[in-house]
Amino acid sequence: MPGTILENLSGRKLSVLVSILLVFQITCFLIGGLVAPSPAGSQDVIARVCVDRNPEDKDFKKWFIPKTCTAVDLEQQQSTKVLNASNLVLAFQMPLFNYDFSRWQQNLVGVLQIDMVQRKGHKLEPVIELTLDARLAYRNKHDPDDKWTYHTHAEEKRIMDCSVDEVHDIEKDGYPYVCSSVPLFELGSLHHDFYLLNLRLPVDNNKNIHVGHISDIHLHIIYMNGGFTKVWLSLKSFFFPLILGIIIWFWRRVHILTRTPALLEYMLLALGITLAFLDLPIELLTLYFDMPYMLLLSDIRQGIFYGMLLSFWLIFAGEHMLIQDSGERSSLKMYWKHLSAVIIGCFSLLIFDLCERGVQLRNPFYSIWVTPIGTNLALSFIILAGISASMYFIFLCYMIWKVFKNISIKRAVLPSMSSARRLHYEGIIYRFNFLMLATVICAAATIISFILNQVAEGQNKWDENMDIDMSSALYTGIFGMWNVYICAMLMLYAPSHKQWPVESVCGESGEEVEFSRLPTDPSPNEISSLTSFASKASID
Amino acid sequence: MDMEFSVVLVVSLFVAIGSTNEVVIRKGRGKGSMWWGIAMAGEPNNISPLKPGLSYMDPSVHGTLRKKQRRLARENPGVLDAIAKGANMAIHECQYQFRNRRWNCSTKNFLRGKNLFGKIVDRGCRETAFIYAITSAAVTHAIARACSEGSIDTCNCEYSHHKSRPRMYSSSRGSVPGVREWEWGGCSDNIGFGVEFAREFVDTGERGRSLREKMNLHNNEAGRMHVQSQMRQECKCHGMSGSCTVKTCWMRLPSFRIIGDNLKDRFDGASRVMASNAGNSRTNHAHNNRRKEPSSNDLLSSNSIHSKRERKPRRNKHGFQLKPYNPDHKPPGSKDLVYFEPSPGFCERNTKLGIPGTHGRHCNDTSIGVDGCDLMCCGRGYRTEVIEAVERCLCTFHWCCEVKCDLCRTKKTVHRCL
Repeated sequence: MPGTILENLSGRKLSVLVSILLVFQITCFLIGGLVAPSPAGSQDVIARVCVDRNPEDKDFKKWFIPKTCTAVDLEQQQSTKVLNASNLVLAFQMPLFNYDFSRWQQNLVGVLQIDMVQRKGHKLEPVIELTLDARLAYRNKHDPDDKWTYHTHAEEKRIMDCSVDEVHDIEKDGYPYVCSSVPLFELGSLHHDFYLLNLRLPVDNNKNIHVGHISDIHLHIIYMNGGFTKVWLSLKSFFFPLILGIIIWFWRRVHILTRTPALLEYMLLALGITLAFLDLPIELLTLYFDMPYMLLLSDIRQGIFYGMLLSFWLIFAGEHMLIQDSGERSSLKMYWKHLSAVIIGCFSLLIFDLCERGVQLRNPFYSIWVTPIGTNLALSFIILAGISASMYFIFLCYMIWKVFKNISIKRAVLPSMSSARRLHYEGIIYRFNFLMLATVICAAATIISFILNQVAEGQNKWDENMDIDMSSALYTGIFGMWNVYICAMLMLYAPSHKQWPVESVCGESGEEVEFSRLPTDPSPNEISSLTSFASKASID
Repeated sequence: MDMEFSVVLVVSLFVAIGSTNEVVIRKGRGKGSMWWGIAMAGEPNNISPLKPGLSYMDPSVHGTLRKKQRRLARENPGVLDAIAKGANMAIHECQYQFRNRRWNCSTKNFLRGKNLFGKIVDRGCRETAFIYAITSAAVTHAIARACSEGSIDTCNCEYSHHKSRPRMYSSSRGSVPGVREWEWGGCSDNIGFGVEFAREFVDTGERGRSLREKMNLHNNEAGRMHVQSQMRQECKCHGMSGSCTVKTCWMRLPSFRIIGDNLKDRFDGASRVMASNAGNSRTNHAHNNRRKEPSSNDLLSSNSIHSKRERKPRRNKHGFQLKPYNPDHKPPGSKDLVYFEPSPGFCERNTKLGIPGTHGRHCNDTSIGVDGCDLMCCGRGYRTEVIEAVERCLCTFHWCCEVKCDLCRTKKTVHRCL
């Protein structure tokens, strides 16, 4: 009966395979670094303060366009003398400089920055509650210049923290307050060419009472860079058929066996499918259709993949426990305790995401973090996810530690075995360790790249002259790494078709030893000889 | 066709006027700084403030600009408003920073052919160093800000941080220049454009190789460096579920008051320099510190004095370094202000240097600093009077535009220098 390919593969073939995978990995990294621009770009748009002569008219067809409206300068008291808050509309047109958005730019995030200056004899509250009346409109390239179409309207609250740069001196005039920026909106699809934001700071019902003297209002817009999307989608389109092919090959291998597939094989299949789902370049559809749910969908896709990967590790470790408690087949039910951590974590994140990005489908200005209840809700879900994550890692580490302990115990028995058998088992243990090592390296690389991204933000270039974009390289590198990792898993853990007894194929060097199955293997249902080894050892 | 012809005619007419103006200016002194006069171009007596845009053709503007500056203004519509705003900002800030000093950064009524800050700029003293630095900084700041306002269409992604890469894609399709670059890699921060433009615009005219020109260039660059180094980074996470797996950062333009403060600090610690021909060092510090050299085929740098100078080998012959006057001092850094002449006394009226003197200035009788009556009045003594002032006090600000203040009557003691 066959074992897995990993066990039956010669050292040379394994090294060839590993080097091919490494080449893929490095290519992914280099594509990100050399071809792709940084993942996202930003633009700083300063509001033009337009005058609304009749604010009572609450018509959503009335739009204030920065280039054409009658504007005032907030710095000059003369121009704002007869006006009040309801007359003033802050108009932002996106993007700047005669450009238009491309659908390759995927999504748009807006962050509002309000610059306030200190005026003599005035003290600012450290926490300011803003009420923003925001209206969003869009226009396409071939529309007439003034044809703006209504997109959304919302009145939202935001909290802004302010401080004065130096020691607060009430006599100081003209010094800036340092206020935090507030997130304003998130558009899941960038379907139109131009967007127009009209913002008001209403003052009725004691709204915005703590707002001080505003000098400027900036809107920082963040979009995916088209080049990065192109590179990213190319990578996905490359990996998708590849992974699909490997899954089909894998499942055919499992299927031609006489036995029913083992749990680990089901898990591998599921893992492959979630990766294929993640790789599926459905973003290409956004070039033709308006799909505002893309952000949510990509979150869900990533979530499913990571959840599956975490469950797989758990079951992988469990299946190699080397403890044969009973002869019955292992099933998912046995792992419900372990898996519940993953499931709870994933579900709480899903609910959080639905609360934030799900609601944003309807109202892009929505944020769960504004109201105290929302903040508590969001925090509780995140904390729940954090607790399950730490529970999971404790579980996983405990299981892996147990596996290694068992292996070392069983290893002590090895010298008493026949040499062929010992060589065989040592090889398996070595390769099991090898794969564990690969997992640890992948996980470590992911964490390190995440930290690097956080630390080296802004200076994510090794050299001004060298045109390498570090953050892109890290993103594509990590993406490629998990693809390569799962391809390797699927290939190495596929059932081998080598039948016992096999002539020991010795290479020219004679060092190459093809491990074949031992004649004494008892249970035909076992997936790998490692587990059979375990059961045998426990029988010993 | 007719239109075009008349435009040409008008331009040549103005060039003629401009060149006669330039003759009036004393040769070699402050010739690069005439553009400061643009600050007054927006004043009501010159053009109506309601008029939205300054044109490089306006006679009040035209006379103040050099040929290259006019070209820059023509090629980048919208910059003149920004520069005028910047120049006003510089004057305002300079007067704020020096409100308590003997020299209070007073500006002359604008007369064609005279320098805005008066004859003090003819001297290579600290005050001049500050004026050059703050005006250069103000232009950088104003241009960067105007870019964000969208009032300059040419501050596109040409100065993008991945400069060489997007060019590959630009050739395939190009209706509007830079569209492919924009779609591929977005834009860089506007400060890059601000610094490059200010360098082209402000440094023009400092073509000579005298110590004075070296000083001006250094101080101009120092002003720009101050703006650039005060940029603060801000980031936003927008990865999976809003986590920080994807983070985007941008630079926040500093308040000009902060730049003014910093430059004032540098003014107090300015280094006195002299020319040193000893080392055949390549260039002075400010230019070593430049982030990136504008590539020669860029629009703005096609006539760049820097690229020109850097390309010519003879530069080495005249390229002297700014050396501290006191050999024990460190050579000036890129953000330091430099001067080579001691400041004149600002106490007495001096028409030759255009100094109004401190007669009649307010002073503080309790202060021992420069604003104190002893120092401000240069020992001449002061006159004290008690006036009843009606002042706004206990102000509250409401968005928008409403300033609620109480009027307080206070008796104030005012000291004025004799």
